[in-house]
Amino acid sequence: MKIVVFITQTQDTEARIKVGSSGDSIDTEGMKWIMNPYDEFAVEEAIKTKEAYGGEVVLIAAGPQRASQALLQGLAMGADSAVHISDEALGETVDSLVLSKLVASELGKIEGVDLIFTGMKIIDEESVQVGIQIAEELGIAHLALVSKVIDVKPDEKKLVCQKEIDGGSVSVEVSLPALITCPDAMNEPRYASVPNIMKAKRKPMKMVSLDDVDFGSLGINRDAVGKSGAKIKTVNLEVPEVERKLKIIKGSDETTVKGDEIAESARELVKLLRDDAKVI
Amino acid sequence: MSSEIWVVADIKADGEVRKVTFEVLSEARRKLGGPVCAVLLGSGVSDKASELAGYGAEKIYVVDNPNLKDFNPDGYVKALCGLIGKHSPAVVLSGNTAFAEDYMPRVASGVGSGLAMDCIDIGMTDDGRLRIKRYSHSSRAISTQEFNGDGSAMIATVRPNSFKEEESAGAGEVVSEDAGITDADIRIKVLEIKTKESDRPELTEAERVVSGGRGLASEENFNHIYDLADLLGAAAGATRAAVDAGYCPYDMQVGQTGKAVSPILYVAVAISGSVQHFSGMGSSKVIVSINKDPEAPIFAKSDYGICGDLFQVLPPLTEELKKALSE
Repeated sequence: MKIVVFITQTQDTEARIKVGSSGDSIDTEGMKWIMNPYDEFAVEEAIKTKEAYGGEVVLIAAGPQRASQALLQGLAMGADSAVHISDEALGETVDSLVLSKLVASELGKIEGVDLIFTGMKIIDEESVQVGIQIAEELGIAHLALVSKVIDVKPDEKKLVCQKEIDGGSVSVEVSLPALITCPDAMNEPRYASVPNIMKAKRKPMKMVSLDDVDFGSLGINRDAVGKSGAKIKTVNLEVPEVERKLKIIKGSDETTVKGDEIAESARELVKLLRDDAKVI
Repeated sequence: MSSEIWVVADIKADGEVRKVTFEVLSEARRKLGGPVCAVLLGSGVSDKASELAGYGAEKIYVVDNPNLKDFNPDGYVKALCGLIGKHSPAVVLSGNTAFAEDYMPRVASGVGSGLAMDCIDIGMTDDGRLRIKRYSHSSRAISTQEFNGDGSAMIATVRPNSFKEEESAGAGEVVSEDAGITDADIRIKVLEIKTKESDRPELTEAERVVSGGRGLASEENFNHIYDLADLLGAAAGATRAAVDAGYCPYDMQVGQTGKAVSPILYVAVAISGSVQHFSGMGSSKVIVSINKDPEAPIFAKSDYGICGDLFQVLPPLTEELKKALSE
């Protein structure tokens, strides 16, 4: 099995965020950059599949220099090699359409790909679309939100899995090659240990410059990469402080309600919901 | 490019039109100008056209094809790309359902469009470009984005419960289209569909949600959540921690990884309030929390709450709610 994982390096959204001086992006000064958390599930699933059926795992990312760190983490988890489409313009918001074309063009050069995994969402942009658009560019089927791979049939080039849909789930069969987007319920990603990160530095990483990309054949201009050429532009970004009423009923000792306070707190809460919030 | 604003109807497994479709039709009519039209794709769905007209659709483009059953993205992509190519609408909208997240990205690629997903506000610039607002950064930031107006259809999906649905009679002219979808277009073979048998509303479109966290401590104790949800006519949700612990199924998960919900009332029981959970429910109108830890972060983001043990608080709370609801 030849397995590819498309990964992204994202801002650590658990970190404190504030709007940058331009007013249309997050201030990245001192920002911690991490492998997109959902991509960890994708890498794990790829390695598990390789362990079960043999083959190799190739990672691919498109981002500025720093994105190599995310690739290194994936290599340390157990991937065999990586492709890094590298340009500083890829550190800006890039149209999902442009990004998917770029990645698909490099991915298309890898021969004999059976399966492509990627995370279900890129957390900083909250984007669920890039992976699926890569599948469209490659002209292959995709399965979004696969909660469980049920059966891989390498000889028949088929895959059976369970995916989540609105109001339930569905089991489906698809011919390979196919692209799968991974939610977190799928597996438990392994840890990239320090010795493995050291070893990962010796694994092959192919660097691709935008100068090497044949934009003509992709039907886009090179200046479509980056903010200025985007089909959708962020004109304002805010980190709103939602004002909540903070009417929290506590016990007389400022901790939990106890004894008679319990029934009293229930009465008071219902009164608040009815008269103050007017939601019941 | 025509001036038409399209709203793609979302059909549930039981054949009914999902409420978010009416919300988007109503908001498009209020905010976007241009004739608002609906697109109805599916198998055996033609009779739903009149319902869409009831929310202001001037025209309804219908593709009724047996290959559009089972919520299989391939057929929908071909049908919608074909319609957009033929009629060149200015804007294409739909509800941001799991199914829209599945097929709409391919449509955007297929027709070379920009795509803004999970929008919470839609409007137009003076020069006719779509302007939207959406969450980013685990829902802690809101970005305002504008399409560049390059002439391609501007495609956006809208978070359920963001807008009020409002009936208004549209002309409702039915335009039947043959998208030429054949068996060969369908690459994904559906083996089995498991829909949940439940009388509760679906999480993403419910006006009230009751969710439980790891503090529930067992699958059995989650019945407290279901009982309270049923009492309030609410959907039942959970944190990732509760799902990971096996107390309830994955499809109940609310948060960055699970579903994004935007109800009028969100009741968080034994939920500490992680960034990840907030990213899925932070836009709820009223947040109520019950937690025995006075330092739980959820309290700082709640409108109302009780600091108390859920097993002690829920029984009297249920009784009081019953009384209040019967009045």
